[in-house]
Parts: sequence; structure tokens; C-alpha cells
Amino acid sequence: MGERIVFTIAAASALSFGTLVVTLKEPFRATVALIGTLLSVAVLFLLLAAPFVAAIQVIVYAGAIVVLFLFVIAYLGERPIVEIGDRLGRYQAFAWLAVIGLAIQGFVVLATTQLPGVRDDPKQVGDIGSPEAIGRSFIDDYIVAFEATSLALLVAAVGAVMLAKRAVKSEGGR
Amino acid sequence: MSLASLAPLVDAAAVGDPQEGVPLALYLAVSGGLFLLGLLGVLTRRNPLLLFLAVELLLNSANLALVGFSRYWNVTDGHVFALVVMVVAAAEVVIGLGLVVAVFRQRLALDVDQMSSMKG
Amino acid sequence: MISVLAWLVLGLPLLGCVILSLWPGEPDRRITRVIGVGFPAAAFVLTAIIFVTLLGRDAEDRLEIATLWNWVQSDGLSIDLALQIDPLSVLMMLVVTGVGSLIVLYSTEYMEHDRDYRRFFAEMGFFLFAMLLLVEAANFFFLIVGWGLVGLASYLLIGYYYDRPSAVAAAKKAFVVNVIGDIGMVIAAFILVRELGTLDYGEVFATAPEGLGAETGVATAVALLLFVGAAAKSAQIPLHTWLPDAMEGPTPVSALIHAATMVTAGVYMIVRCNVLYELAPYAGDLVAIVGAATLLMAATIALVQVDIKRVLAWSTVSQIGYMIMGAGLGAYDSSMFHFLTHAFFKALLFLAVGIAIHALAGEQSLDRMGGLRRHLRLTHAAVLVGCLSIAGIPPFSGFFSKDEILATALDAGTLGTVLAIVGLVGAGLTAFYMFRLFFRAFWGPEPEGGYAHAPHNPGMAMSAPVAVLAVLAAVGGLLQIPGVWHPLKDWLEPTLLADPGLEATTGGELIVSIVSVALAIVAIGLAYWIFVADPERRLRLAGAATGTRALLTDQYRFDEVYEEALIQPGRDLGDTLTNGVERYGVQGTMEGVVRGVIDTGRGLRVVQSGLVRGYVFAMVAGVVAVGVIFSLVMR
Repeated sequence: MGERIVFTIAAASALSFGTLVVTLKEPFRATVALIGTLLSVAVLFLLLAAPFVAAIQVIVYAGAIVVLFLFVIAYLGERPIVEIGDRLGRYQAFAWLAVIGLAIQGFVVLATTQLPGVRDDPKQVGDIGSPEAIGRSFIDDYIVAFEATSLALLVAAVGAVMLAKRAVKSEGGR
Repeated sequence: MSLASLAPLVDAAAVGDPQEGVPLALYLAVSGGLFLLGLLGVLTRRNPLLLFLAVELLLNSANLALVGFSRYWNVTDGHVFALVVMVVAAAEVVIGLGLVVAVFRQRLALDVDQMSSMKG
Repeated sequence: MISVLAWLVLGLPLLGCVILSLWPGEPDRRITRVIGVGFPAAAFVLTAIIFVTLLGRDAEDRLEIATLWNWVQSDGLSIDLALQIDPLSVLMMLVVTGVGSLIVLYSTEYMEHDRDYRRFFAEMGFFLFAMLLLVEAANFFFLIVGWGLVGLASYLLIGYYYDRPSAVAAAKKAFVVNVIGDIGMVIAAFILVRELGTLDYGEVFATAPEGLGAETGVATAVALLLFVGAAAKSAQIPLHTWLPDAMEGPTPVSALIHAATMVTAGVYMIVRCNVLYELAPYAGDLVAIVGAATLLMAATIALVQVDIKRVLAWSTVSQIGYMIMGAGLGAYDSSMFHFLTHAFFKALLFLAVGIAIHALAGEQSLDRMGGLRRHLRLTHAAVLVGCLSIAGIPPFSGFFSKDEILATALDAGTLGTVLAIVGLVGAGLTAFYMFRLFFRAFWGPEPEGGYAHAPHNPGMAMSAPVAVLAVLAAVGGLLQIPGVWHPLKDWLEPTLLADPGLEATTGGELIVSIVSVALAIVAIGLAYWIFVADPERRLRLAGAATGTRALLTDQYRFDEVYEEALIQPGRDLGDTLTNGVERYGVQGTMEGVVRGVIDTGRGLRVVQSGLVRGYVFAMVAGVVAVGVIFSLVMR
């Protein structure tokens, strides 16, 4: 019972903040809305017996990535970033069409799918979300993905440095 | 392949009897909703920063779906993949914001529609 | 030994041609002369040796086949690279190399002023090689090869003065008309292969009576198709139009190719294939009729020609008509006899007239000639001998040979008699136009204003061949005196496997002789009366019968008819294809394809807008589509 209440609140919050993210005009406010979304999703993760993932979501996503966003927004300064009249107005219409279409489709699929147990109450689960379980899974089954991911991070770091270097140069630095 | 044939797998996945709770379908509905919101944002926004925020929404919806199914099948694989997705999101944000900054330094307009030098 | 000699005779002129062609730069004139004349002369000597050797043998033993190797060996057809040495081919070889050597010697002086000296002798050597291949071939395959090569040599030599458009046009005309003949011969060869499975002379003539059958359609077809080739090469109606134009070439070329040898290749072939023609009497009759018609038509045209070489050209066409007529009727040895004498006196006439042209620095029109006998004595005598010979005045050679054909024709049924009468009429005309030429050029007053430079007598190189030929033209007729001896006929007998055995009766001979000589004398007298007795009479009479005269001057307008019926439609077709099919069809299609590709590319470029949102939208659209499909498929 309690689970259902928490879920409802978290879900509604996630969707509301999400709506704010895509509608607010100022980047700073939109970023704050994103924080709200991320935290709501973290709550949902907890409900899904994924404590580790929820923790990482808060620490990395809301903690690091969003902060990075805020840094850049601060750097970019007060220059008004105004969205002038959309030249490609027709994209708006098609976007809405696509979204509504997908929404209907998704609704239909969820309502009629024959995948057993999707619409029923969930069964009990074992220990799947603890750090130990995840660690074991990484090392035992997905070691390659683990290493590849770290490689991707390395590439991103190097790329960021390269971009920054050029940026420094263009501003008169060495 | 009939989805009904997956029933034995699902039965084996669970440990006990169904408890009162939230069915997977609702989690998937939330995930889908977030996804659609992110999609709207990507299609609509012209400021690259706001575009990236919408992309974060998309990635989050994917994570939610992954974790939800992971609970459904009673496995850890979904969690693992969700962590990988988060790493990728981090990397992508780093590079993307670096690009935004670079564009800003060139004193060009921060408008995705005007960044069309890849025009073929 | 004869085999080796035969190959040498064939190869020496070719070798001379090759040496002259590959010589770096322009060789010294003396070298060109030595090679250009020496090699053909050596070939003549070797031919004479072959001839003497064969004389020493019995009549039945005079056949030798000299095979080098097996050229084609395929299922059902075997062709050897082989030469056939028998009386007929040796006769031809003697004339080709002998008269050829004399003419080449003559050209060393005639072509003195030409800067392409070496090219002339190389091409003449090539012609001699090709003609020898034609007459020495032991099978139809190499006959046709030689046929074609001779056509090529003719093209090269007619178009020798290649910076003259008229010469180039004449060369092309000759070649094209000859190709028509080649087609006929090749198709005939195809039929022979299909019916008899061989192209070898010996085998064909042995198996033809059974393989082709007598008086069957196939035999007639073969004979007629071969005759198409002969008609083209020997300038008979309707494929004769090229020969008068071929006079654009230098005079020695006209003498050798278009009088003595190449144009007689058709006669040679018919005589060689006497077996085939005896199997198809209707074809033979047609051949004879064509020969007679050509004989008469050419003689009428020659009456009004003003270019001196053109008179001789039409005279050649006419005389070959005699030979063809004789061969068609079955008087093979008579035809070959006339061929021999004609080679002598026609070459003589061309060379002597060439002396006059050379002396007058290229003047060829009778209107601007006259009284040359005062300047060119030897030439005058030579031309007189030639004219008497061709007119058939005894004891000169033409009398014997021409009358033998006509007399033998009388023995060939009704058709023969009719054609003999035609031949007699032609003989009268021949005498008249030849003496017209003689009187106008050599007698009478000089043209108005005299000659620009006094005509000079030629040197030894030109005079000697003319003298030799004059002697041959004078006495050559004594080879066959009817009723007394006929060595030529005996010589040729082994090769005439299907001789119908026409014999001129003594009575027939007498009638023909008397009538022809009488006609000739009357004609000569008429010519004297018109052209010499009163110089103005010619001009007065020229006004009469202008319509006929115009027709004759225009050579019966054959060229015009061909132009309208065949050539202009060809040109129109070419124009249509160029402007219509080529421009719109081929080029249009090509350009259309290219333009289509470019436009498609340009159209597709729109997709590459460079706008992120556009791409995202495309992706989303795709996802929606895929989702719809999946949801429909996966129930």
C-alpha cells in the first residue's frame, strides 16, 4: 500500500519536472528542473529494489553531470539566449504528431501485451541490487563492458582536454 | 514466438508469491512518458544546452526501463547496463558541453539550427 | 624445284616492296630503281625458267602444286597455303612479271619529277605480289585474298596523287565497287564450302559435276556470284563505273593495272573455273551477253571522249568485254589469246600515250593536241602499231585474237552468232575511235598557239619498253594462226577441263576476217576523212546529233543513276542517323542518364540539411514506423 503511494508521488513528480525541463526557457531553471527529475527517478529506483543504482544516480547524475551543466551555464554568462521565432515551425507540428502517435502506441502495447505478469503485482525478488551483486555481475559476466566503459571515459576526458586546449588558444592563451 | 511461452521463465524468476505493489506496466508507462517528454524537447529546443537536458531525460527513461525489467526477470543485468548508460551519459555531456563552449568562444550564435556546416 | 621458283616469283616483288617501305628516310633514287625494277625483273626471269621447264615436260605432266603449310584445318574445311603451277597460271605469271617489269622500267623515267619516288615503286611491287598471288593461288581462298589485295593496291595507286581530291574520290570509288565484287566471290566460296566441303581447285573441279549438279540452281548461283566478282574487277556493266575514273592515277599505273593485268583477273577466273561455267550454261550465256553489251556500250562512249587516257580506258572496258564474251560462250583459249595480245598492245598504247603526256608536261586533252608526229617520231610509230593492232588489221596481233573469238562464237549456237555480229560492230567502232585518237593527237595541225615547250623525246628507260611492246604487239598474233598452228591452245589444254570444244570453222574464220577487216578499213578511212582531210569538218559535224553526243559524253549517265538511286539515299540515311538517332537517341540517352543521376543527387541532397533537428525528426519517424510494424507483427 505504501509502495503504491510513494510510487504515485514519485511518478507524478518525475513527469512534472520532466515537463518543466522541456518547457522552461532559461537554462538555469531548466537544469534545476532536471535535478528534480533525477531525484524522482532515484526514488523510483529504490522502489524497484535497486539501491546501488539509485545512489549512483544521485551521486553521478545529479551530483556531477548537473553540476557540470551549471558550471557551463555560469561560464556562458548572462547573454540572453532567446529562442527567436522557429524557422522550422513544421517540426513542431510533426514533433507533436510523433509524440502523440508514440504515446498512443505505447499505451496500446502496455494494455494488450501478452508478456505474462506485466500488469500483475510484482513477485518477490532476491538480492539483485546490492553493490555485491552488481560487482559480481560486472566481474563475472560483463568484464568486457566494464573495461570498455572505462575506455570510453578516457576518450571523453582526452577529448575534453583537446577542446579546452583549443579554446584556450582562441582566447589568446598558450 | 508467442509471449505466453515466456511464462515459465517468469515463474522461475520470482521467489515468492505476488505481493501487493506496482505492476511493471506502470513503471514502463512512466519510462515511456519521460521518453516522450525528452523527445519533444529534442525536437523543439534550439538552444543546445536545453537540447542536452532533454537528452538526459531520454537516457533516464531508458535507465528506468532497464531497472524495471531487471526486477521483473529477477536479474542484475539491467542494473549493470543502467550503470554503463550513466557512464556514457557522462562522457557525452562532457564532450557536448565542450562543443557548446567552443561554439560560444567563436562568438557564434548558440542556435542548433545555425550549426549546419555539415550540410551536404 | 618449280615449287621453290614459284614461291620466289611470288615473294620477290613483295620483298622489294618491304625493303623500300622500311628503308629509313628517302633512299637514293638509284637504289629505288634497282630494287623497284630489279626484283620484278628477277621474278620474270624465274617465271621464264618455270615456263621452259614445263615446256620440257609432257602435256599431262605440267601441273605442280607447291604447298607451304596447312593454313586452316577445321572440321569440314582444310585450306593450304599453296600455289598451283599449271599452264594457265604460268601464262598469267609471264604476262604479269614480263609486262610488269617493262612498265616499272618505264616508270623510272616517267616518275622522275615525283617526290614520292620510293612510294610508287613500293606500291607497284605490292601490286605485283598481290596479282601473282591471285593467279598462282591453288584454292579459292587465296584467290579471294589476292583479289582483295589487288583491290587495295589499285586503291593505293589510283590515289597516288593523294592531294588531288579527284584522285582520292576515284580511288574510293574503285575500292567500293570492287568490294561489291568481293562480296559476290565470298558468297560463292561459302556455297562451295557448303556443297563440296573444299576450296581447293583440284578438288572443287573434280567434285563439282556431282556435288553441284549440271544446270542446277546451285551451280548457276555459284557461277553468277563469281561473275559478280569478275564484273567488278574487270569493269563490266553495271560495275564498270570505276575504271574511267581510275585514270587519275599515273600513266604507268593505268598501263599495268587497268589495262594489262588487274582488270583481266575476271577473265582469268572465269577461264580457271571453266568447269563451273560449263555446269551452268545459263550463267555462261548471261556472262557472254553482259560482255557483249559492255563491249558495245564502251565503244560508243569512247567515240566522244576528249581526255586521251579516258579513250584508252573505255577501250579497255570494251576489249575486256570481248574476252568476257568469249569466256562466257566457252571459247576459253580464244579469250586468253586476246588477253595476251591486249596486254601487249594496250600497255603499248598507254605507255606511248604516256610519253606524249609526259612530253607535253601533263596535257591530256585531245583538244590541245595535234601534229605530234613531227616531234615524237618513235612514239608516233608505236601508237600507230598499237592502233592497227587494236583495230584488227592483219598481220598485227589484235586481228588474230579478236577474230578468233568472233569466229569461235559463230560455233556457239544462235546466241553466239548474234553476239559475234555485235562484236563485229564493236570492232568497227573500235577502229574508228582509236584512229580518231591517233589522227587528232599525232596528225593534223598543232593546237592554237603551238606548244608551250617543244615536246621532247624520252630517254632510254621510256623508249625501250615501248619498243619491246611494239614488237610484241606486232608479232604476238602469230601465236595462233587459225588452221595452221595453235600452240597457245595446246598449251592451255590441260587446264581447260570442261572445254566445250568450240571450233572455228574455216568458213566462219574467212567471213569474220573479211568483214572485220573491211569494217576496220572503212572506219579508218572515215576517221581520216573527218579528222585529217579537212580540219574544220570535225567541228561542223560535231554539231549534229547533240542529244546522242551528250548522252555518250556523260557515259550513259550511269554515275548519275547510281548517285541518285544508291548513294544519295545512303547519305540521307547517314544524315538521319546522325541528326536523329545519334543526337537524340544515343547522345540523348547518355545525357539523359547523366542528367537523371545529377538531378537525383541534387534532389536527395535536400535531406542532408545539416540541421540536427531534421535528423532527429527523421529518426523518430523511423522509430514510429518500425514500432507500428512490430506491433502489427508481434501479437
